[in-house]
Amino acid sequence: MLQEKISRRTFLKATALAAGALSVGAVGTFSFETWKKAEAEKKDDIRVIPTLCTGCGNFCGLNVYVKNGRVWRAVGLPQHPKSKGKICARGHGLLATPYLRQRLTQPLKRTEDGNFQPISWEQAFREIGEKLQEIRKKYGPGVIAHISYAGQKTAVWYGQRLLWALGSPNTFTHAASCYAGRGVGFEHTVGGTPGTDIANARYMVYIGRNLAEGITPGDVLELAKAREKGAQIVLVDPRVNNMYQMATKWVPIRPGTDLAFVLALAHVLIKEGLYDAAFVQEYGYGFEQFAQAVEKYTPQWAEEITGVPAATIQEVARGLGKNKPRAFIHPGWHGATGTQYANSVDAARAIALVNALLGNYQKEGGLIFGKTPPLGNLNPAKYPAPEKPAIPRVDSEWPLAHDVVTAVPDKIRDGALKAIIVNRSNPVMHYNNPLYAREAYKLLELLVVVDIFMSETAELAHYVLPEVSYLERDDLVEGVGGKKPIVAMRQQAIGKIHPETKASWEIYTGIAEAAGVGKYFNFTLDEVNQAMLAPTGLSLNELKAKGTIVLNSPIVLGTPKFNTPTGKVEFYSTEFKAAGLDPIPNWKPPLVMPDVSKGEFRLINGRQAYHSHTNTTRNPYLLVLTEDYHGDRLWINRRVAERMGLKEGDWVEVRSEVATGRVQVHLTEAIHPEAVFIYAPYGSLAKNNPGRNFAFSFMTLLPYHKLDPAAGIALTQEVIVTLRKI
Amino acid sequence: MARYGMLIDLTKCAGCMACTVSCQFQNELPPEVHFIKFYQQEYGTFPDVSLVNIPVQCQHCENPPCVYNCPTGASYIAEGGVVLIDESKCIGCKYCMTSCPYNARVLNEETHTPMKCIFCFDHIQEGEQPMCVQTCLGGARVFGDLDDPESELNKQINEKKARPLRPDLGTKPKIFYVW
Repeated sequence: MLQEKISRRTFLKATALAAGALSVGAVGTFSFETWKKAEAEKKDDIRVIPTLCTGCGNFCGLNVYVKNGRVWRAVGLPQHPKSKGKICARGHGLLATPYLRQRLTQPLKRTEDGNFQPISWEQAFREIGEKLQEIRKKYGPGVIAHISYAGQKTAVWYGQRLLWALGSPNTFTHAASCYAGRGVGFEHTVGGTPGTDIANARYMVYIGRNLAEGITPGDVLELAKAREKGAQIVLVDPRVNNMYQMATKWVPIRPGTDLAFVLALAHVLIKEGLYDAAFVQEYGYGFEQFAQAVEKYTPQWAEEITGVPAATIQEVARGLGKNKPRAFIHPGWHGATGTQYANSVDAARAIALVNALLGNYQKEGGLIFGKTPPLGNLNPAKYPAPEKPAIPRVDSEWPLAHDVVTAVPDKIRDGALKAIIVNRSNPVMHYNNPLYAREAYKLLELLVVVDIFMSETAELAHYVLPEVSYLERDDLVEGVGGKKPIVAMRQQAIGKIHPETKASWEIYTGIAEAAGVGKYFNFTLDEVNQAMLAPTGLSLNELKAKGTIVLNSPIVLGTPKFNTPTGKVEFYSTEFKAAGLDPIPNWKPPLVMPDVSKGEFRLINGRQAYHSHTNTTRNPYLLVLTEDYHGDRLWINRRVAERMGLKEGDWVEVRSEVATGRVQVHLTEAIHPEAVFIYAPYGSLAKNNPGRNFAFSFMTLLPYHKLDPAAGIALTQEVIVTLRKI
Repeated sequence: MARYGMLIDLTKCAGCMACTVSCQFQNELPPEVHFIKFYQQEYGTFPDVSLVNIPVQCQHCENPPCVYNCPTGASYIAEGGVVLIDESKCIGCKYCMTSCPYNARVLNEETHTPMKCIFCFDHIQEGEQPMCVQTCLGGARVFGDLDDPESELNKQINEKKARPLRPDLGTKPKIFYVW
């Protein structure tokens, strides 16, 4: 720990020097008179640049204040629906990103002995381009893939264009370890994932969704408003999360059994006639089959499975039913419905259906399908566009999912993938069993990583291409759907810190030219942005001046449209049926269950308010919070721990079937006795990551599962562990 | 002249520490120095448990022991009742740190003098809200003039029966909490 402290101090001094006149910690100790005098003598040059955060997938709108050429502070943009004027701890902390010492500063090529050697951009582009052409010629274009972070529009858009130009359809995002279960479940039940009208709701149930730590700032603000108006907020979670303070009730549930809880809610709503029969009649497909199926899922049945008293299940169902349609179960994100259990997709479908029973779609205080802003594209007459390749994707055995990045390690092992370009993603670390993934990625003939840090994936790459940080570049215009759609864009706030870094769009253009497909990249980022904005009537300069612009075309509530094959809420899913899966979300147990009598626990994980991914643990402002508040400790039920002879802060070895980790324990009453909990971003394996020394990564303990047939999700909580005091 | 105070409504606090980090950037503090610290309390036994996260910073007391115990007058009460430190007078004895019942002062390792929340003093003079108030996700923080009976701050203090963390200590803090 001491070592970490020293390195952070050194970091500060180094950056202070780089900044010239930065006075670390000076303001707090000056008297106002001294400060005023000093200020009167020197005029600070302060500029305010509206742009977008990069802390998580929300990409909140923010105003960055640049003082004398250096990033100073940020505040949220009020007109951006995700931020609503607020920015979370991550958003503030990441302002230090451009100045971090661990940044990549020049293109690197891996040598025979595994070290990296700096090379020029010309050499990097030329060699990558040649290699891509060679691989394409040898195996066909289908062995090339692109992996990026789903929210990063520039990487997604340019990455797909490059792959299509090369003839490959294999573009992947991180969805399968984040929200894919929810996406697939909702898409094939109600036609998409709706937003939530939190501020106007009277009764809300959050199942494994935690707005206070997996933060969307605008939602937290709405939640506080709803609470002030007397809304009931119920948390269903194996542990007390930070939303507790704003909630009215915590329902501790046995992890992995959320589907049973939701099915029992459906049972009560139908049995007690609390559902919206008119809505179901008008908009439902196959309701009778569903109603018949949930007949057996009584609250008493669910009590056995979930550990939640039948009376509590009845109470929650009645709370929802009586407050409908200003009531909802939140669709979730990464939790129960996301990617954690073998039954997560069915939990998502069941939640979509209970919301339909409440008749809350397109109603105030319910679930709302937003309107998507109209965005254009480049004129193909002037800018030739590559066709979507006709060859099948390497993950085409998952007909219901969009992309299954979790399958990539096995696809490499099978020889179906030979070359991968990764941008702003860390697939070696971010999915099950990184050691298994690492061995697979080593088999690639070409691995190119575009990043700002040396990630675990970058360490394996043949070429590492340094990007500029989010505060040093423009990105593609993005549209955010909602009650009122918006357009927003990230724009450059400060000058380039490291001259030999490039923006993604320049990197893709360089690779494309060298790979012989440059004709598809005969434009600048500004030209794409102008084309995208054209249908909105806005100019690029207008958008740059405001950062986020609300398009004045609010949706009309009342009449929902469901984008499913039947055009209805599919209580009986035609697409699941066609895929050979259960058309009704019947109860299915999770893949594994801990045997408590043998001292087994389920290892569960979740988001922390001040970290997103392994990359945020590189940030000194955020990492020091981990240290000060012991944010990396493993939660364990106090009584269970005391029986094992454990005290607060004791070190334990955590063992799963594939690996072990070392961690300190946090004893608390606020967790289910059958689970142990760890925050997600720790235990980095990257050599230069300061977060490397903190706890362990739950991913390292996770087996590389046979993936679920519907969404190919990572099953990130299907892991049993035992603990041993060390 | 205003008498500045703040209300923190814990029922709207997400415990997210956005206030802590935004304060650091506003005041150009190093990563280790926090003017706002969180204390977590846990009550009950499983499954009847509750948790509360309480953000604590300089309370800008009307009777500040830090000011009374400062031997050189470096700690003083400035305009608006805001407690400040004049670094030029500070000898680094840390009496103020030990006398603060709220543990609100931290040491600047560069200058070896104490630092703490200054209610974003320079910025509120220009009509800005303190950074922690601007960024608070739940809108849990209200800043304003305790002498103005019409202020939102006074309205909420009265409506929600807000009170200081430890009124029994007699320092008359100007930060009021709602549970």
